[in-house]
Amino acid sequence: MNSLERITASVKLAPVDRVPVIAQVFGHAARLAGAPLLSYLTRGEDLAQAQLNAWQHYDYDAVFALMDVCVETEAAGSVLTFYDEQYPDVASYALSAIDDLPKLSVPDPRRAGRMPELLRALKILHRQVGQQVLVVGCVLGPMTLATQLLGIEAALYLAADAWEGFERLLDFATETAIRFGAAQVEAGAHLPMVFEPSASPAVIPAQFFRELVAPRLTRLFTALRQAGAICNWLHIAGPVAGILPFYPQLGVNIANFDYEVDPREAQKALPHTCLNGNLKSLSFVNGAPEEIGEWSRELLALFGKRPGFILSSGCEIPPEAKPENIAAMVAAVR
Amino acid sequence: MQESLFGPLIGALLDGDHARAVAEVRSLGAAGIGAELIVTAGIEQAMLRLDEKCTVEHFNLLEIMLAGRAAGAAIKELYPNGMPLGAARHTFVIATLEGDVHELGKNVVKSVLAAKGYRLVDCGKNCSLEKLAHTAAREAAQAVLVSGLITSVIPQVRRVRQVLKAEGLTHLKVVAGGAVLKQASAAQLNVDYVAQTAFDGAHYLDETIGARGGRHEQP
Repeated sequence: MNSLERITASVKLAPVDRVPVIAQVFGHAARLAGAPLLSYLTRGEDLAQAQLNAWQHYDYDAVFALMDVCVETEAAGSVLTFYDEQYPDVASYALSAIDDLPKLSVPDPRRAGRMPELLRALKILHRQVGQQVLVVGCVLGPMTLATQLLGIEAALYLAADAWEGFERLLDFATETAIRFGAAQVEAGAHLPMVFEPSASPAVIPAQFFRELVAPRLTRLFTALRQAGAICNWLHIAGPVAGILPFYPQLGVNIANFDYEVDPREAQKALPHTCLNGNLKSLSFVNGAPEEIGEWSRELLALFGKRPGFILSSGCEIPPEAKPENIAAMVAAVR
Repeated sequence: MQESLFGPLIGALLDGDHARAVAEVRSLGAAGIGAELIVTAGIEQAMLRLDEKCTVEHFNLLEIMLAGRAAGAAIKELYPNGMPLGAARHTFVIATLEGDVHELGKNVVKSVLAAKGYRLVDCGKNCSLEKLAHTAAREAAQAVLVSGLITSVIPQVRRVRQVLKAEGLTHLKVVAGGAVLKQASAAQLNVDYVAQTAFDGAHYLDETIGARGGRHEQP
């Protein structure tokens, strides 16, 4: 089996030759290649080359065209501060108040901000390895993009104080994700991972997730499949055990979970869904290869012969990670 | 008796209804209840109940933010010029360190601790270690609290003690928290405690500092 076949089988909970392993490596790929992070985040060609280099170095089962969490908000009009060796942050948000929303238009992925560069990266990755390796894009989920358009505190207060305005913001964010995600699939992504950290139960109550976020995620995942995504991958970190049971109704095929969720609990909540996780991200920075290897083997043993498991970190492996720690995780499945 | 007197204020705070909380504070004031009693029997009690509800598994920022905002509005109604030193339990300096501009976690901790009667001096985001230490010295703080969402801030956190020592502040407690920092141990970060949530940090401060003689002496 090649990597793509292995992942596809895992998503269907079919037998595989070995457990797939995915390192959620983004900025770390630039470091590994000795390239400036800034060029990785702004030039699609540099991103793709660094991803290919990291994939060849570690030999895991997926590559990512993922820059940072500010791509969409920048495309919508937020002003970012960029750094040489750090992810950018928002200097001023696209929206200063919800009343400004009618002035915003859904960004055109062919022209807006760094979106075209991300699409360029996907085209290269697809051309180079798309027949054998999973090529993953990324869109922010509606809740996360809403917080990135207005600022998280303002967005959460809006949700509490002016429900209808917040729903309009969520709808705008959903349309942005659908359009960007479809463009990613067209450019060569097998799927865009939906990154939705602000929908974590650490941020909003489960009822809020069910009533406001879940319907938009369902719409997004339906649209992504219609656009040609081979499956849907939802990435929410934190104590997600309480919302995992909603995932199948949303159309989720791969469910990310991090160290805050007991793997047994995740298996029980999602018996028919492929799971990926859940090594602690920071352990790739301050841990040792022996520890990573041991924790990886413990996870593999916990999942035993259950089909539908992808060994990975629970969130991004930080740029500062020690390469030998990533190698130890990859080695554990072989 | 206190339950029925302060119940409506506690309810408003737990509901995160800041307008109702302010109205309840005014009503208690009009009935001749002093500001300090409103803080201890009303606002602090509401925080205690929220604390009991918000375990690590059942903690969400939205609920805490709304209760914190309501408590902040109530305290502002009682002390329009800020809580005087004599009314506060202790002073803490809080910051997001240089290289990190994420303030939400810091602001939530600030709300929770302020509602528990502590005085917080906020050094803001992207704060240098020198500014943090100078502020702690100037404000006669008992602890410094640092928040971090990104991995690259960890080296700064590890240096906090060293910079405090240069200011002669070896007695201060150093508490870290935030999405990335909470994955590390206190020893790895060279701090006294790593808080898993805002309330977890508040427990630590209550136990190690809050109990040491209670509120500041009146100047």
